[in-house]
Amino acid sequence: MTDDQKINERTATDLVRYALACHASGKPIKREGIRAQVLTGASSRGFKPLMDRANELLEQNFGLRMVALPSHEKTLVEIETATTATPTNTQQKANGPKAAVNKWVLQSVLPDEARQKLELAQTEEEQSILGFAAMVLSLIFVSNMSVNVDQLILYVRKLGPPACISAPADSRSAPAHASDAQMEQAAREAISYLVRQGYVDKVRLASAGRHTVGETQATQQADGGGGGGESDEGMVYTWGPQARVEFQPLDMARFIAAATGQECTSEFVKTIGRAYGSNIAEP
Amino acid sequence: MPMALTLSAVAQQMLVQWCMAAQIFSEPAFRQAVGRVGSSQAAETDDEVCRQEEIQPIVEQINSSMAAFSLELRSCMDQTSGERMWSLVNTNADDMFKAATKYTPNELAMLKALVEGIFTDASGNYAMALHDALRLGSSITTVSRTEAEALVRRFSRDGWLDDKREGFVVLGSRAIIELQSVFNLGFGDYVRLCSLCKEMATRGLACSECLEAVVHPYCAERVAEASGQLTCPACHQRIRQPRRFGPGERGVPHSAPAAGGGEKNGSDAEESDIEQASEEPATQSIKRLRINDDDDDDGD
Repeated sequence: MTDDQKINERTATDLVRYALACHASGKPIKREGIRAQVLTGASSRGFKPLMDRANELLEQNFGLRMVALPSHEKTLVEIETATTATPTNTQQKANGPKAAVNKWVLQSVLPDEARQKLELAQTEEEQSILGFAAMVLSLIFVSNMSVNVDQLILYVRKLGPPACISAPADSRSAPAHASDAQMEQAAREAISYLVRQGYVDKVRLASAGRHTVGETQATQQADGGGGGGESDEGMVYTWGPQARVEFQPLDMARFIAAATGQECTSEFVKTIGRAYGSNIAEP
Repeated sequence: MPMALTLSAVAQQMLVQWCMAAQIFSEPAFRQAVGRVGSSQAAETDDEVCRQEEIQPIVEQINSSMAAFSLELRSCMDQTSGERMWSLVNTNADDMFKAATKYTPNELAMLKALVEGIFTDASGNYAMALHDALRLGSSITTVSRTEAEALVRRFSRDGWLDDKREGFVVLGSRAIIELQSVFNLGFGDYVRLCSLCKEMATRGLACSECLEAVVHPYCAERVAEASGQLTCPACHQRIRQPRRFGPGERGVPHSAPAAGGGEKNGSDAEESDIEQASEEPATQSIKRLRINDDDDDDGD
């Protein structure tokens, strides 16, 4: 191996370490972070070969891969095309606009049967959060991928969000009889949590013909997590980038079948696809 | 059914993912995971467990490929039960290592303060009363006491601390495995090694005869069961009235060595003579253990 090759290999190894560190901290792998922590002033001309080699190392050694996290802009377009569905824009929905990829997350590339064999440990808290996220996402999924704010709050109130994300730290032992205002607050906090984690995005439909950035993980963080006091009128909730990576449409159809005690037949998948607004490809 | 001593590429990837998700795990759980990933279609049962002697080659195989990424499977023994705990740890304490945490900077500061406070506890018990831990946590992070308590529980759940010790907080297995080099480099004066198994000892018995050796409770029990009595590995005298250290115990204070210094490694204990401790605060190796003159009636 030449010196240059050795340097490139070392850089790719450092990128693998950085990706694993981001994964351990629950944060996406950001391009700016890669530049600062891995490339450290070196030229970024070889970014793609570096990513490719790092992905090779991740697959060979960890059964993982960096996958791009969809951007917020893609989400806006999909909602608009879903609400005015035609054969043309259904295809546009599938393709989406091209945008530079600036964030990635690690995803397992192990075969399904191997992952099931693993029985990966999850805490009770993680299980309850994931279950809650899946229920919220399934509602959005069968509502043509958008649910208005009031609807979602009502749904979450009925569902009962996990205490670990819906109450402040010093009141986690939930009161026996919460008031209406407390339940509303708990529901809003739980939904805010999902927005911060990237599972859900709050966006404004471009009904006036102008794209408007809504409330996403990024804007919530910039606002200090409070949401900035934006009016709810005309705002809807849809899937966020993390949901798009973690849940595939067929997975969601299977989840809905299991949650409603039905068999996930081809007919069932077609029915769910109509509610989703697009055909769901089966393997 | 005999297990293969090497894993296939996919089986190794599965096991590494399992280790990453589990973070801290017992050896029986590890062996079960190895059995699951390595079992072939011809396996007699779905719960085939890897035998203990087959673990080592698998650990070596994983460590060989993980070394390039500064990762290593390490273990430590539970000092009371003898159960071995494992974790896939980062061996390079650079900025990337520091970024690999789900804790906020505030939470990390609290954890660091607690770990340091517990490890340098002057009584040599490697323990902190829970109310002291909460007070320290609140002062470091300005959170409420309830929030500090929730954080201590979270640290315990994640394996860094153990708060199930009758009102005391002690180090968890994960801290002992992952922070070993930190303790050795930064707090060598407070490191104690079991004279029998040579692993770090944060609870156990100290020989009151020679003031040299410490042994884990589990190691002491093992020796006593085998030979009918507990004999000091250093001076070979029977340990009749050991000094105990650990949560809620009387403690064996860390002390300064006599002139001439001393090694930090417990395995060199047998070279030393009994020495009087100085009046100065502990700044040197605690290999020589002090028993105060007024503690002769310890009645242990």
